Amino acid sequence: MQIVIASGKGGVGKSTVTASLLYLLKDEYRLIAVDADAEAPNLGLLLGVTEWEEEREHIGAKIARINTETCVRCGICQMRCPYECIYVDDEGNYVVNELTCEGCNVCGLVCPVPGTITLEQVRSGVIRRAITKYGFPIISAQLDVGRPESGKLVTEEKEWAKQIMKEQNLEHMIVDSAAGIGCQVIASVGGADVAILIAEPTPASLSDVQRVYKVVQHFHEPAYLIINKADINPGFTKLREWAEEEGIPVLGEIPYDSAIPKSMSMLKPFIEVFPESKASQAIREIAETIKEEIIK
Amino acid sequence: MQIAISGGKGGTGKSTVAINVAVELAKKFKLILADLDVEAPNDHLLLGVELQNEEEVNQFMPKFDYSKCIKCRKCAEVCEEHAIITLKDGTPFLMPTLCSGCRACEIVCPVPGAIQEGSRLIGHTYVTPTPYGFTLVTGKLREGEERSMPLVVAAKKRLKNLDYEILIVDTAAGTGNTVSKAIEGSQLLIAVTEPTPLGIHDTELILQLGKLMGIETWVVINRANLGDVNEVYRRAERYNAKVIAEIPYSENIVKTYVSGTPIVTTDYPEAEIFRRIAERIYEFLRG
Ligand code: SF4
Ligand code: SF4
Ligand code: SF4
Ligand code: SF4
Repeated sequence: MQIVIASGKGGVGKSTVTASLLYLLKDEYRLIAVDADAEAPNLGLLLGVTEWEEEREHIGAKIARINTETCVRCGICQMRCPYECIYVDDEGNYVVNELTCEGCNVCGLVCPVPGTITLEQVRSGVIRRAITKYGFPIISAQLDVGRPESGKLVTEEKEWAKQIMKEQNLEHMIVDSAAGIGCQVIASVGGADVAILIAEPTPASLSDVQRVYKVVQHFHEPAYLIINKADINPGFTKLREWAEEEGIPVLGEIPYDSAIPKSMSMLKPFIEVFPESKASQAIREIAETIKEEIIK
Repeated sequence: MQIAISGGKGGTGKSTVAINVAVELAKKFKLILADLDVEAPNDHLLLGVELQNEEEVNQFMPKFDYSKCIKCRKCAEVCEEHAIITLKDGTPFLMPTLCSGCRACEIVCPVPGAIQEGSRLIGHTYVTPTPYGFTLVTGKLREGEERSMPLVVAAKKRLKNLDYEILIVDTAAGTGNTVSKAIEGSQLLIAVTEPTPLGIHDTELILQLGKLMGIETWVVINRANLGDVNEVYRRAERYNAKVIAEIPYSENIVKTYVSGTPIVTTDYPEAEIFRRIAERIYEFLRG
């Protein structure tokens, strides 16, 4: 089974909860974790991974390059680039901004001097594999700074994870999705059997989770909600109301715990270092519900 | 003058810094705050305002006129997104969600009129007056759309027609090319970070981006009492970035965040920290 954990935006404790859930499920199930936040991966760190066993470069991004020798400085490329990535440098040369180029090749097609603009494949990032000290494998990716299409990295990660699942006869893939609702999230959510949404009771988090829920609906996946930092905003009932209206079962509420950053600094799942805290108790109950209702 | 506020990873509090700094600086300058976190725009919620002056962002999508198409497959070959599939006989079909609207297919099609102008709604931009004397410009990607780049570009285009002295840009999380697009044109980049190992790792990436773009970079440490700030100082130094403020974790900040009131409009002691950040920026702007 493939379970994706999403929130619509970072900072609501998604990776903390994910790491703890993995910790609680690891003994009973054969799992693989996928950190699908290729722009800011941190699930590996939270699970104590500091060294990777295998690292694969991902050459996928394409970037346009202009040969200033043959360029006649007509400016057509600059006019036609849909993303405004071509600028004129101090010497009057037309140059592609490699940190924003989407690699669509429109500039190459419109340039009147053949061969002046070429589309080059460049590294978009790395995908890595490790075994956590808890026994289950993790796949994680890191997009290089300024590269497009982190979604492709995520798709590649999930392919690799599927292959490992087959080889090692694993049962469940737990995907920690990126922030937002764009290509990375679509790649994370697509193909999952179940989505677990995590939100905190604030207007901003509600708005973000509503948006990611629409993406989930698009894939017709059943969704569940975990309310994190449930007590930070006692008057705010809209999150629960929304879940009720949409018929999204609430798996549980986790109270805010100021010890969470401490567990992060120790690079360990929260539940492992503070097993007796109220938040851990709540996470444990949620893990039980997941076993009964979702994984079965 | 443009200032970007970014954070590497999400949830570090960059929007909180952005809105509070905007409220303060709007007292001295004609200011616009641009929320370019188009996948999860929240600044309006933190400011307690409803988005206004909605404009659609439509994107080109090829529409085939099969009576003219000669089934040469050129459009499919040139499409970097593989959004066009062809049948055995060469008839092209579009898979709309993959199309980025770049027009490469239209450019190569040898038959005039075989590819016609179609369009798809991919999101909206908004221009919202705030009660704090500045205007908020927001880009919002439609759910189910994959690419945030066109929305960032559209929001920036809309900014061009507006009048301002200072533009503050609040970016998305991460360090991909849409974040660089949002930052592009800034004279100053402020990275908001947390002193946890994760926060530090992500800060390093945003510092790299700032360096690659050649933009002066400052660091604001949020929730400074919940980790080892020294490590942040060390990393910042490596990139020649100044740490200009430490914000402690505070219930008051959470409270104001939740209620949609910028903390600088309150009497809470923490407001002073944000005022000082604004002061530093003010000095930078005056050179
Ligand atoms: S490849 Fe596309 S995005 Fe890149 S510079 Fe050329 S036209 Fe612009
Ligand atoms: S279109 Fe070609 S020749 Fe013209 S400015 Fe661009 S690169 Fe140079
Ligand atoms: S507009 Fe660009 S992405 Fe869309 S079908 Fe044409 S070539 Fe492909
Ligand atoms: S390039 Fe034009 S003529 Fe050729 S297959 Fe595509 S639409 Fe038809």
